[in-house]
Amino acid sequence: MLINKAKKERFVWLDITITLAALQLMAYFYYGLHTVVTAFACVAFSFVCEYISVRLSNKKFTADNLTCVSDGLIISLMMPAGIDYKIPVMACIFANVVGKNIFGGRKNIIFSPAAVGYLFALTSWKDKLNMYPLPFARIGIREQAKELAVSASYTFNTTGKLSLSDYDILLGNFCGGVGTVSILLLLISAVILLFRRDISLGAFVGAVAGNVFMSVVCPVTSDISDTLKYVFTTNMTLFATIFIISDIRTTPHKSYYSFYYGLFTALISYALLLTTGIENLSVIIAVLLTPLALALKKLEDKIKYLKSTETIVETVKQNNELSEEIAADISVENDDISEIASDAIKEINEISGNNVSAVSFEAAQIGEGDISENA
Amino acid sequence: MKMHNFSPVDGLLRDNTVLSAGMVISPIIICGNNLQNAVALIYAFSIITLFSVALASFVPQKLPYAAKIIAYAIISSAIFIPVKILTEQIYPQCSESIGIYFPLLAVNSLIVYQTEVRFFKMRKLKMISSLVFYILGFDFVILLVGFIRELLAYGTIYNHVVNMDSIISGIGAPFGGFILLGLLCGIFRKLRTIASSGNDSDSEVK
Repeated sequence: MLINKAKKERFVWLDITITLAALQLMAYFYYGLHTVVTAFACVAFSFVCEYISVRLSNKKFTADNLTCVSDGLIISLMMPAGIDYKIPVMACIFANVVGKNIFGGRKNIIFSPAAVGYLFALTSWKDKLNMYPLPFARIGIREQAKELAVSASYTFNTTGKLSLSDYDILLGNFCGGVGTVSILLLLISAVILLFRRDISLGAFVGAVAGNVFMSVVCPVTSDISDTLKYVFTTNMTLFATIFIISDIRTTPHKSYYSFYYGLFTALISYALLLTTGIENLSVIIAVLLTPLALALKKLEDKIKYLKSTETIVETVKQNNELSEEIAADISVENDDISEIASDAIKEINEISGNNVSAVSFEAAQIGEGDISENA
Repeated sequence: MKMHNFSPVDGLLRDNTVLSAGMVISPIIICGNNLQNAVALIYAFSIITLFSVALASFVPQKLPYAAKIIAYAIISSAIFIPVKILTEQIYPQCSESIGIYFPLLAVNSLIVYQTEVRFFKMRKLKMISSLVFYILGFDFVILLVGFIRELLAYGTIYNHVVNMDSIISGIGAPFGGFILLGLLCGIFRKLRTIASSGNDSDSEVK
């Protein structure tokens, strides 16, 4: 049991990495070798940063620390194809050093490191991150994208209109982050990870519920079904819901609490999408709502603690009642015993009293006989 | 009166106002994103703090604590007015970008808190020398932060363009300043621990 628990983190990492690798494969199919090299660079720098940070903090580097690899892959998949290599690399360094290890490493994760890295890149190289090459623009290792366009998210956020066929949406045939547009693959990944319990079910359901609720209450387009479709497929919503919002390292443990984290993230993202039109708000809000996740975690711990103290108090009460009952029984038994004993003593005394009188009579007779003999 | 044994140069490194005590960090984080702002802040902070503390030392110590603090704030506010006018003349662009953090310098922790805890427990001459080192400590940190942030975020040094290959504009934002200052504080404390452990081992050998 303990071994399973200890191994769980690395199994989660393995499952997530496999799904991310599938997305990476799809990205290679659409954009060419550049995305593969970006992914390798991200993974390599994440690994090096994690190793150095762990060694500097005098800890042992274990297989559980390899979660940094999946963080690196997530960052590379959120980037546009053909981006300058140093941008994802800097994002990975920032994510691992500042977003993760400064706060105490993998056991004290506050933010999703990948989201922090992406936010850093977004604030530092906003223009480069929000321009994407068209699908099937094969980009070589040393090349950069020639024709850039705004993302489908930008078009949807600013105009409220988007004309993409369901086939294109499912296969990811539209402008966006290399791994965030493959909707079919993302759906499959979500199902696998949910069944394998590698991501938080509560947060995932909460985020989906929040987006559905807002899409129904205040749709972006005139058609609710269109709004639902585009809300989930653009702005990295589905990708962020799976790999960032539902990250079990940051969400509360119980589904009940993590549901609210996911729900509020989705509600706020949607509200801001309607009012500001900023792209990829789910990632930004997931980081900004970290205090909420922490507060829910604390609440969860507090309730757990209170429950445990309640049970302790109840057991102590029960013990006291039992001991009182036992004490009462013992006292009754003692009274009975004492009565029996006193009766027995009386009887013994009576018997011994008769015997004593008989013996003393005999002794008196013997004494008189001795005196007369002497006389 | 009991005199406390503080070293006057503590404020420069060992008890640096920013790196060690984490005081007066908001102007550095928000406004210290280039050297020009840093210099303007150094100018304003140094004059306001030096004269405020020096004048506040004449406030009778028998007054209640709250009254003394109010008196210090009034003195520093009075000094702030001419300094603000002068800064607007010397650094016209910076005073705008510094904004609300400029008047906040008049009630910085060195004036409001450290006066009672440290400075007014010293003799006058020692107090002035210690105060100068504390101010220099702050000046050094804001210069360093301003230099790093301007270089990395804008690729310039005091508005002169440097041939920087990559620019990280996030460092110029408040969150970048916060993280950079946090990293500097961590490095400083690590170095201080190493230095103090080295001193301890030296003394043990002796």
